[in-house]
Amino acid sequence: MTTLQFQENPTPTTQRPPRHHWNMVVDIDRCTSCRACVIACEAENNIPINTEDRFTQQRVNQWIRIERYWEGEFPNVKARYIPMLCQHCDNAPCEPVCPVYATYHNNEGLNVQVYNRCVGTRYCANACPYHARNFNYWEPVWPEDFRNYLNPDVTIRSRGIMEKCTFCVQRIRRATRGRQDVADGAFAPACVQACPSDALVFGDILDENSKVAKLSKNERHYMVREVLGTLPSITYLKKVEADAL
Amino acid sequence: MALTRRQFLKWAGATGIGAVVFNGCAAPDAAILVQSPLDIPEDLVTGRDNYYATTTESLGYATEGLLVRVMEGRAKKVEGNPDFPLNTGKHSARAEALLQSAYHPDRIREPLVRVGKGGPWRRESWDSAVTRFTDLMRGADPARTLFITSPTAGQMAAVLQGFAAGRGELHGFEPLSQAPLRAAVKNVFDADVLPTFDIAHARFILNFGADFLGTWLNPVHHARGYGEFRQGTDRRGYLVHIEPRMSLTASNADQWVYNNPGTEGLLALSIAYVLISERRAEAGAANALTGGRGADALSAYAPGAVAAATGVSAEMITKIAHAFAEPARGPALAIGGGIAGAHTNGVFNLTAIYALNQLVGNVNREGGVILNPVFAASRVTASPLRTWKQLVERMNDREIDLVVVRDANFVYGLPAALNAAQALRRVPTVVSFGSFLDETTALADLILPSTTPLEEWGAVVPEPAPGYAVVGFQQPVIRPYTGNISTGDVLLRVARDLNIAALPWETMRDAVRDLARQLQQGNRGSVVAPTLEEFWKRALERGGWWDMGQRLTGAPAPRPLPERADPEQVSDANQFPFALVPFETPGLGAGEGAHLPWLQSLPDAVSTITWQTWVELNPHTAERLGVRQEDVVLIESSTGHVIRAIVYVNRAAPPDVVAVPFGQGHAHYTSYAANRGSNVFDILEPAEERETGALAWGATRVRVTKTRSRQALSKLEGHWDSVQFADSPIIEITRQGQSNGNGTH
Repeated sequence: MTTLQFQENPTPTTQRPPRHHWNMVVDIDRCTSCRACVIACEAENNIPINTEDRFTQQRVNQWIRIERYWEGEFPNVKARYIPMLCQHCDNAPCEPVCPVYATYHNNEGLNVQVYNRCVGTRYCANACPYHARNFNYWEPVWPEDFRNYLNPDVTIRSRGIMEKCTFCVQRIRRATRGRQDVADGAFAPACVQACPSDALVFGDILDENSKVAKLSKNERHYMVREVLGTLPSITYLKKVEADAL
Repeated sequence: MALTRRQFLKWAGATGIGAVVFNGCAAPDAAILVQSPLDIPEDLVTGRDNYYATTTESLGYATEGLLVRVMEGRAKKVEGNPDFPLNTGKHSARAEALLQSAYHPDRIREPLVRVGKGGPWRRESWDSAVTRFTDLMRGADPARTLFITSPTAGQMAAVLQGFAAGRGELHGFEPLSQAPLRAAVKNVFDADVLPTFDIAHARFILNFGADFLGTWLNPVHHARGYGEFRQGTDRRGYLVHIEPRMSLTASNADQWVYNNPGTEGLLALSIAYVLISERRAEAGAANALTGGRGADALSAYAPGAVAAATGVSAEMITKIAHAFAEPARGPALAIGGGIAGAHTNGVFNLTAIYALNQLVGNVNREGGVILNPVFAASRVTASPLRTWKQLVERMNDREIDLVVVRDANFVYGLPAALNAAQALRRVPTVVSFGSFLDETTALADLILPSTTPLEEWGAVVPEPAPGYAVVGFQQPVIRPYTGNISTGDVLLRVARDLNIAALPWETMRDAVRDLARQLQQGNRGSVVAPTLEEFWKRALERGGWWDMGQRLTGAPAPRPLPERADPEQVSDANQFPFALVPFETPGLGAGEGAHLPWLQSLPDAVSTITWQTWVELNPHTAERLGVRQEDVVLIESSTGHVIRAIVYVNRAAPPDVVAVPFGQGHAHYTSYAANRGSNVFDILEPAEERETGALAWGATRVRVTKTRSRQALSKLEGHWDSVQFADSPIIEITRQGQSNGNGTH
């Protein structure tokens, strides 16, 4: 029987020493499931409108989504929410399966998708244990008027292309270009910037004074499907289950 | 033919090739270096972006201060304004969707006039349309003219009031009235404006019916506090939510308690009884609230006596009361709203709930109810259903000749039993300022389509304020995309022609500047400047003005608790066995967000459904009715009106309650909203809250009938299977206990 062996410490794909390693912390105890992050992401990243048929066909394109899980039955029932997005794994299962190297790991910890390399095999979506990858089943279409609000910093992906959360790489580039140091919290991906309850926190884990570095050591921390050895760049903080009255 | 070098140069020099050849010879080394074929898109972007601050209260929703990224004259992204006190840098999905409102393909792009009553539309120039409106106003009889608007406070309200004075009656319309809440706040705190809640510093919140994290008042402001309430300090706050449906806020509670609809006040009085009888309440407040009689005054509300009526066990009532008044926990806060105020006894319910804050002395204190000072500004509040019934009757009796509507879709948002559409058809002339062809605007004879919030001037006085006066300045961050003119500007232009002395301003910008002048002369608050110009510039840059130094202190003297008022049974429970709990969703609200595809595609928090109207049924109830998930059912009330909805079997749904979202069922309102789902207002009983006459939108009972149709639910739930790997440990995603771990943020 063949077993997959994941590397404990994957070799960096480039020899340049990393200046940053972008990470996110998702505090589920703060998340209310308001989904401001979902629409902020769609606006920032030129995601096509998710029409009714995309939902019924289960082909929705959301780079960040809020999953809801049930526990129990009425009246002792709880709904649990968990924001799910690309985990930017340091040992990403989506990367080695791409036959055309359209997805790779950059030296700042980002799992990068190169749209004009992608040929749409969808192997990466198969490999991703987080279902974080979205395939463009259709050519993206907006009414001509809506195209006015499209973000000029973000490429529109055509039919047949795989896409996913980029940690708003366009914002990272703007903030870091030509600068040695970027103050913690000086910029944030669209979802983090919108989040009303500060459930999402973004920063450079290499900066030990950053909020994200401190929070990732919180005793509530865990990583989703950590056992797979994917080494995600997103740390979740558990919801606190308070005692019943 | 042999070509000599001289001949070639001569020939090539006379043609285009020459340019290539000589240029190629002269190419510097740098130019022939291999360039990366992967020029990333941001390298190719031309133009520079700017961020402009503005404020909006649009979409029937809370006020948020915004920063809008504008590039090459087009708005690209909305962000929260970090300076603005209510949302401090964060924003809602609705604020984001203002972009789609501005660039909507179905916007009305020029004035339209009907050829004959009910005839086809004809385009008209702005000059001609405004002249037509001026002539209409000149000939209008003030006794037979109505001006209708969404509730507003600030300079738009000032313009509307100045315009309507002496020319007709001005009425506010909001589909889900806050009148019971206002009345309760007046009863308990003797306050004329809504209070705010210090959620961040409360350690125990007892919430009755208010979906304060999803749709109620200002969810972004509340969520700012909620994050801190949970994880801002080492002592995590505890949230108890009492509601007949699991709403977004209920699903975030530590303890969700189901109660029979309309019994929230009874529960609150029972909690008060426990607190007073066990001497857990502040003695002075207990004395004042009971008229000196103490617990005896409330003995009829002992937990055992109300358990059956409320559906909450005596044990649970006692536990809640004990937790609410546990000093070791820290500040306890009682909040009420939403469905708790939506019954015929809404004011009683909310008055009893808010009085609990006085029993624990938590008014105008950290972690409590924070009363707001009254900021001197013009306000138009909503008229209650009682008044609307009279207005509809007057329209039916042909006592109204002219109706002027601004941002108020009452044809959609009044119960169908009133048949407001038919009444409006009997009005000879209807003028609408709608940017979109909603159900009310579709019946207009003249449309003067307004700009959208990102394109116009305004000064917004948010309610509730954050405990001190706030004025949000709204400025056009883009030019009007369709060349439309804002309602304020049209009214002021007509006012000039009609010589209305009460409106001295030429444009809305002048009106806003006039308010800025008053604030500058006050010489206090967040912007202090020696000249108006400097004040204007700085206030626009910051997105507004606020005065954190002026807050109310001290708590008003408690007044006696209200007498018991039970919810009225408006229809026969045998024929209509289910209590209907209609609810707003964060995207669509009461229907006002349905024209924006981002908001249509925003999954509901609990069901994750989008774009549709569904009915939430308990699994056992569904079984009893013989229906399955995705069956289509008919929901009928005693009004005789029926709507269709798709069954969503919800394990959190109580057995005797059916819940249906507001928002869909538009006949018009753009291609994204029209002919989609059902309008719950259609089946609502036109029942009134006893004291205020507001629509008791939670008082309807219904029956559910199976059909043979089925329809797929457009939901996110079920897109991906949850798989447990056989050899992997289960990771608990919750952590027991009250502590929040090490390190807070």
